Amino acid sequence: MNPFNPIHFLPFQVEAIQAIGIQLYRRKVPRYLFCLLCFNLIPALAVQAATGDVFSRSQAYALGILGLVTVALSGYLFVVMFQPERF
Amino acid sequence: MSTQTKRRGDRKHTPKTKMIGLYKRAIQDAFHKLDPRIAVRNPVMFLVWVGTIVTALVTLDPNLFGTVTADPNQQRLLNGLITLILFFTVVFANFAEAVAEGRGKAQADSLRATRSDTMARKVLPDGSTQSVPSTALRRGEQVKVIAGEIIPVDGEVVSGIASVDESAITGESAPVLKQPGTDIASSVTGGTRVMSDELLIRITADPGQGFIDRMIALVEGAERSKTPNEIALTVLLTVLTQVFLIVVATLSPLANYVNTPTTIAILISLLVALIPTTIGGLLSAIGIAGMDRVAQFNVIATSGRAVEACGDVNTLVLDKTGTITLGNRLADEFIPVNGHSLDRLATIALASSLFDETPEGRSIVQLAEKLGAKLDFQPETTEGVEFSARTRMSGTNLAHGQQIRKGAVDAIKGFVRSRGGSLTPELDATYERVSKLGGTPLAVCQDSEIYGVIYLKDIVKPGIKERFDQLRCMGVRTIMLTGDNRITASVIAQEAGVDDFIAEATPEDKIDVIRQEQSQGKLVAMTGDGTNDAPALAQANVGLAMNSGTQAAKEAANMVDLDSDPTKLIDLVTIGKQLLITRGALTTFSIANDIAKYFAIIPTIFSAAGIGALNIMGLKSPQSAILSALIYNALIIPALIPLALKGVEFRPLTADQLLRRNILFFGLGGVIAPFIAIKLIDVILPFA
Repeated sequence: MNPFNPIHFLPFQVEAIQAIGIQLYRRKVPRYLFCLLCFNLIPALAVQAATGDVFSRSQAYALGILGLVTVALSGYLFVVMFQPERF
Repeated sequence: MSTQTKRRGDRKHTPKTKMIGLYKRAIQDAFHKLDPRIAVRNPVMFLVWVGTIVTALVTLDPNLFGTVTADPNQQRLLNGLITLILFFTVVFANFAEAVAEGRGKAQADSLRATRSDTMARKVLPDGSTQSVPSTALRRGEQVKVIAGEIIPVDGEVVSGIASVDESAITGESAPVLKQPGTDIASSVTGGTRVMSDELLIRITADPGQGFIDRMIALVEGAERSKTPNEIALTVLLTVLTQVFLIVVATLSPLANYVNTPTTIAILISLLVALIPTTIGGLLSAIGIAGMDRVAQFNVIATSGRAVEACGDVNTLVLDKTGTITLGNRLADEFIPVNGHSLDRLATIALASSLFDETPEGRSIVQLAEKLGAKLDFQPETTEGVEFSARTRMSGTNLAHGQQIRKGAVDAIKGFVRSRGGSLTPELDATYERVSKLGGTPLAVCQDSEIYGVIYLKDIVKPGIKERFDQLRCMGVRTIMLTGDNRITASVIAQEAGVDDFIAEATPEDKIDVIRQEQSQGKLVAMTGDGTNDAPALAQANVGLAMNSGTQAAKEAANMVDLDSDPTKLIDLVTIGKQLLITRGALTTFSIANDIAKYFAIIPTIFSAAGIGALNIMGLKSPQSAILSALIYNALIIPALIPLALKGVEFRPLTADQLLRRNILFFGLGGVIAPFIAIKLIDVILPFA
């Protein structure tokens, strides 16, 4: 029996996975972070493609995240501008 | 409307809060506020907070966002120092806010100490009492409180007369007499102590919703929301931040193009130096400190909006008695008319004031007794007639049906006419003479015969004219409301220096005046304490209720004066203006700072592009320049905390003069000060 094969999962393991899934659904911040890290694969590829050998893969990935964070901050500032009473 | 008659003298407000541990708690709070859920509320400082995290990452790995050409260890040291400075910039801003909040919390703690979960004697339907915790009491129930016990919750006196110590709330040590049937004296506050006798009280607030509970919530800032000016300034600061973010984010390709590649840490340093961190860090502290200054004046504001509105007020509607003149008018002279003797007038005046317990009434009795007047009837056989706003007179009904009255001349004339009496020109002449002296004439009659006039002397408060002159200079108009006749009102108005007055005013006139002023786009402030003042207090932009007033007045107003001193409205206008001036001054200073920081950092980033001439401060090296600018940026926040909390010194100036003063001191000062400070820090720093 292979314990890593989903077919052979024990009920408590299934419940644990379900619990993680529910927590992931309930907690917004980890979910957004996970989505951001996944989405960053696209800009990271673009960065690396545009700069050739200047940046390593990890540097391109980090730059992609920095770019996304900057865009997110800019979006946040727009929200503050248009809905200042929320802050 | 009535006012409290206790002597106030020159008593200054004294904070009743404990400041011990204030700074210790503020330091702890400054770190708690690093929680991103709290940090996100301040957009300017949140950007610095995110920048700190990014620079921390490049400290751990300088090559994280690209391979650096410099020595990695040296780069790590520079990045580490930048991280540290940025971190403290955020902490200092949090500290400023925490100190301002801490003062409010300290006052809340002081108030909380007065709110105790005492046992109360609840009165059951059969008249017996049952001991229950005060938290179990509900609105509408009745409790009995005897001497030495604490009143469990807010309420109205149903029966009994007792003196109550309200010092826990007001700081006033003299006990206040509480009794049923009157607007003012029947209202009691939970947490105060009955000093003598006993009271039967009907509860008017459920547990947790009493006056002290609301005050605690307010001073703690639980209900604090941004004021309109704060919102407008936040938008301005956010727009500036957004512009600089876009500029800095797109600067890297330009720098690469001119062969001066920059690191992420330097770009973040530039961004932090350019965004208005000084005012961004101090903005909420200034607002909270404004509320705190009001609280230090023993006034509780329901919101920062109310304090701010004080600064924008265009019109002050003020009662004459207690605000412009000293509360107690005293009988100065008896003037007989219609051929009656002074002795006879004194006797009638004495009889008319037999049941009048007001200071005016007592002064009439004193003057009559001084003139040797004696009653020619048994007081036990008589009945008192209380003053009412409708009849505008009071007096005594004698045993044989005779009626003695004193009151406004018009009212007495009507009374005499209704009983078939005749009026003489002598009365009108006397009335005019007293009025022209600025006094209040009270006519005295028995049935259809008028005996004379009592001259009640009004004394304008010392220094009030100068205060009104200052207000006028600031563009604030003052309107005096009085129940007195037009001649008396005009004399007092002239003496006090008010801009306008309304004579023979009824409580309804207040709301009319306020509406009229507001229809012209003006902001109006007023004071009040009676139930009939409640609509006007609610209508006014700033309504200051007296703590001695009714629950209705206190609930309608957006400020409550714990000392019940109506003159404080003028001080509140000053505090509101000071708040707005402080905010404007620090905003000017913060934005003016950018010039020096720009000249410190930009030449270092583009040094290879041949703009070294812009390094007008002659800073030693790029590293030193960046660190100097950031250190200045961080240190200026705690340096300005005292100014933010205390407020810029207030001077009664016009808007133009204020603008000129602001630009000269804080604009020019904001340009020059950082040049000097950054150069000094650069000299001290060991970076070559």
